[in-house]
Amino acid sequence: MAQSKVTVCGAAITAFNRRTDGSSFRDWALAAFEDALTLSSLERRDIDALIVASESDFFSLQLNPASVLATDLGLVGSSTMRVEGGGASGQLAVHTAARFIQSGAYKHVAVVGVDPSASQLSGPTIKSLYSFSFDAWTDGLSGVSATALYALSFQAFMQRIPVSQQHLGLVTQQNRANATFNPRAHLGKIHSQQEIDESTLLATPYRRLHCSPLSDGAASLILSASSHSPSSRKSAPTIAGLGAASDSVHLGARSDAGDFAAKRLAMQRACREADIQPTQINIAEVYDAYAGAQLQAIDALGLSDNIPNDLQSGRFDIHGQCPINLSGGLMGQGAPVGATGVAQTATCALLLEGLYEEKLQPQSLPQFALADTHGGVCTTAAVTLLAGAAA
Amino acid sequence: MTIDYQLTLEYTLQSGWLEPFVRGLQQGIATARRCTSCEKTSYPPIRVCKCNHTGGEWVRLSGEAHIVHRCDGSEGSFALVQFIGADTRTVVRLENMPEPDAIGYLKSPLTKNANDKPVLVLTTDQQDKARR
Ligand SMILES: [Zn+2]
Repeated sequence: MAQSKVTVCGAAITAFNRRTDGSSFRDWALAAFEDALTLSSLERRDIDALIVASESDFFSLQLNPASVLATDLGLVGSSTMRVEGGGASGQLAVHTAARFIQSGAYKHVAVVGVDPSASQLSGPTIKSLYSFSFDAWTDGLSGVSATALYALSFQAFMQRIPVSQQHLGLVTQQNRANATFNPRAHLGKIHSQQEIDESTLLATPYRRLHCSPLSDGAASLILSASSHSPSSRKSAPTIAGLGAASDSVHLGARSDAGDFAAKRLAMQRACREADIQPTQINIAEVYDAYAGAQLQAIDALGLSDNIPNDLQSGRFDIHGQCPINLSGGLMGQGAPVGATGVAQTATCALLLEGLYEEKLQPQSLPQFALADTHGGVCTTAAVTLLAGAAA
Repeated sequence: MTIDYQLTLEYTLQSGWLEPFVRGLQQGIATARRCTSCEKTSYPPIRVCKCNHTGGEWVRLSGEAHIVHRCDGSEGSFALVQFIGADTRTVVRLENMPEPDAIGYLKSPLTKNANDKPVLVLTTDQQDKARR
């Protein structure tokens, strides 16, 4: 059966930060959805389904949040559901929406990713909840934190790829510097290497500044069957390929604890579907929960044959051949978990269309963009490839 | 304007098929699962072996492990370790194992402090070594 092609008719991201204005995640979800709907030129009544990405009821204190948001968003009557896959929740929601459209079941699907990761609970509480991201019956019994597991994985990675503290610093500086041009970003900063090196050591080699923050925020997409996209949106970006995969939940059961094998597999699947090679990617939003995770992602996604060289030569910089995390990524833009994957895909779509932040928009319109998200220590991986009108 | 909630949740996790593993931890014994087809031994136990065989038997490891990677910092000390007799590696918390100690022993709950839930802790404490 021929699949329906999927157009990204609408894309929007709220500010990512720690809200102190009395607003709730319901307000951010509505703001993102309405902005995406406006860009799409569609009406509420056109939306067949609402797919909500939110990592945890513990964050929102709301079971079945899709039912609440469907009411708030004026989408009562539409099909609603929540999609969850840890840190990959947002990207998996994008995949679910796109697959629904490809199957012919729906014409227009709204995706809303949201999480109040900063303002509703204390940092230590969120951290202890995150420790349940790992097998609670085994690894979880050690009391290991996400940072420590990522650190152990990165140490294994360093045995295979010659990267060091200096490269962690480069990624940190680059993502936070990009974020200074993104008015929605949580942590736009110019860091010196010394400042990074002197920040608190959390789990060798990770220091405080190598980590992404906990943020509040939302993002939304309106995906449509290309055959039914409004005439004003005929040149909007399309989904070129989707790929998802999983790895053993136990770091110690993997043949190489430093290899993001699920991401590698997800990327291969997405490239096969899009019929393109990783070298054809012009821009990438990559899952940088930690600075080293970005390096591990670059490796698994096949974006570099020589990571230290490409970092030094500026290949992934704002004006490089393949800018990575122009938004600032999780480290710079911020990380409201459920919103993350949706925001990455929205960023890619807006960049492909020339609608992104002026100072971050490449000189010529990119052809292909990559949004890469994962949950656990790359236990659940989801990759989305998008094509612009220039492709 | 805020609405404040405070939740206190008390869970009782059943150990299910992992019962021998959890019971072992409670006794300070590393109980692993050995595939009855290819004989690969996993710790923590894996239910379906990489060879796709589902049959397994429970085997007692010595509890001695060597550190493959370790991380230290304000989050505590943790390591990816290799238990003798296991073909997979294990994430553990390190206690009383300053660098360059590279070999430790699964900590017995008898030598633990107040916390009585089974925990994956590696230590060089002589008491734990003596129990092997
Ligand atoms: Zn086997």
